[in-house]
Amino acid sequence: MKTAQAGTVESMDCLVTVSEAEPGTGIALTLAGSSVARFSRAMEKAVRATLGELKINDMTVLVQDNGALDIVLKARVEAAVSRLNGGEEA
Amino acid sequence: MPKNILGREIPEFIEGYGKTLPFMGEHARKPEGNRAGPKLRSTFNDRTSKVVPDLKAAIAASGLKSGMTVSFHHHLRNGDFVVNAVIDACSEMGIRDLTLFPTALFGVHKKLIEHIKSGVIRRIMGSVNGPIGQMVSEGGMEVPVVLRSHGGRPRAVVSGDVRIDVAFVAAPTADAYGNLCGSQGKSACGSLGYAFTDAMFADCVVAVTDNLVPFPAAPVSMPQFHVDIVTVLDSIGDPAGIVSGTTRITRDPLRLLISKYASRLIEASPYFKEGISFQTGAGGISLAVTAFMKEAMKKREIRGSFGLGGITGYFVDLLKEGYVEKLMDVQSFDLEAVKSIAENPNHIEISADWYANPWNAGAVVNMLDVVILGATEMDRDFNVNVNTEADGALLHGIGGHQDTAAGAKLTIISQPLLRGRIPCVVDQVYSVTTPGEVVDALVTEYGVTINPRRKDLVDACQAAGNVPLVTMDELVARAHEMCGPTDPVETEDRIIGIIEWRDGTVIDVVKQLKKK
Repeated sequence: MKTAQAGTVESMDCLVTVSEAEPGTGIALTLAGSSVARFSRAMEKAVRATLGELKINDMTVLVQDNGALDIVLKARVEAAVSRLNGGEEA
Repeated sequence: MPKNILGREIPEFIEGYGKTLPFMGEHARKPEGNRAGPKLRSTFNDRTSKVVPDLKAAIAASGLKSGMTVSFHHHLRNGDFVVNAVIDACSEMGIRDLTLFPTALFGVHKKLIEHIKSGVIRRIMGSVNGPIGQMVSEGGMEVPVVLRSHGGRPRAVVSGDVRIDVAFVAAPTADAYGNLCGSQGKSACGSLGYAFTDAMFADCVVAVTDNLVPFPAAPVSMPQFHVDIVTVLDSIGDPAGIVSGTTRITRDPLRLLISKYASRLIEASPYFKEGISFQTGAGGISLAVTAFMKEAMKKREIRGSFGLGGITGYFVDLLKEGYVEKLMDVQSFDLEAVKSIAENPNHIEISADWYANPWNAGAVVNMLDVVILGATEMDRDFNVNVNTEADGALLHGIGGHQDTAAGAKLTIISQPLLRGRIPCVVDQVYSVTTPGEVVDALVTEYGVTINPRRKDLVDACQAAGNVPLVTMDELVARAHEMCGPTDPVETEDRIIGIIEWRDGTVIDVVKQLKKK
């Protein structure tokens, strides 16, 4: 299965890992890290919105967060997806 | 449910704590009656050595029994061997249900978890950090922990709220008749400040040393007439954990900017004049503020009267270079501070009572002009939380936060606006440690936010012309915009922690976290 990553686990960043998923299985999202306790809803919204804009319906996504703001999280998701689609070496 | 003056719900009775007194304002509670005292005892010339062969013999001789209260002090910090050794020995001797009354616990004490689980320790009155804090937050102790400040703790002791059965004093140097000193010996830690009140008010005092010297020891910081029993361990602590290396000033540009703004605020204030006194602690930002202040003092030819608190090598340099006349030291953080307190008569060892107790004839914090403190979060009313983390876990003690904030003429909280995604300003803090009525300003990378009740400081900053001012509303709006909405902390109804104001009233309670 194809997998790609973007980001780091430095402070205020996150490491996003995306993997291909069978059509029809939907988005399987796992959030881990420092902000999850108080920001899981906001983080989930940001990830799903970004995938929606990229017209991705089926994907496994793991976010290892170390305090990333939404703009960073969205950019990391976008970059990971782009790498998965062969746009860039992971 | 009854509420205190900050609107926090405080039950009238808390199981394992008793009847509560709600916090009603900084000076609302007045003391009544006399100071408490320890048991009287007599010692004559048929007893000329207090040394017993080992820790178990000391515990047996102290009369310590199940259900009693034992106290410890934290000058050996993360290098401490004494707390674990004493509780291990108690466990082996079949003593149970102890109330642990430490001035603070550190990571090295996580071993106590097994003794909490097995029932040797039933209650903790003192800060719970790291793994013990996490365990308590998740409901791992039946009896709630009670948090008190460095001044609130001696207040509780001298007023009789807490009776200490046996106080254990980790003594880097002792003689056979119980004269103790902190600044000498292989485990030297400098000031023994937090231990004094315990030694003066406990029914029995056990000194634990790894450097037994011939009578009389000199210098003496705690005299023999308070000490009942002396025992020797091979080592009372690991020097690497007792004193830190040289504490460095932050290099982070963001923190340096915050430090610069804080220093400008101090310089603009009416307190920046000959004889200024300050406490800045050992944190990276605090040290940088001190460095900027030093430059300003040099430029304006001002000399300070004293530096207070936990003392670092940086403060020792200020003393040597004449920027302050005296240091008043309740805890010596590094080797330079330990050396200085041993050698320099202007570096004064003070007790916690002397430092911060609101219920005596006057603590040093009352003489303080400026204090710089941290916070995990602060709210629109300038209430500060230093005890609970963003996820609601009770992981930090109060330290001298309440006392210095209440005592100082200018109380500054310095903190980056964000720690990761977590903002330091919120609509309402999760738990209150220090009320907004004693906090004057918050300094972030966006500028200085002044408590509206300090109009004089706003005017002073505007007159100075180099202090960027930002209102609390602007700051909260900015934090909301960057961080997004927060999810609430999910808790059970059970109270696992009680935060006392320094006068013994309850300023807030902390609830057990819901299992995830």
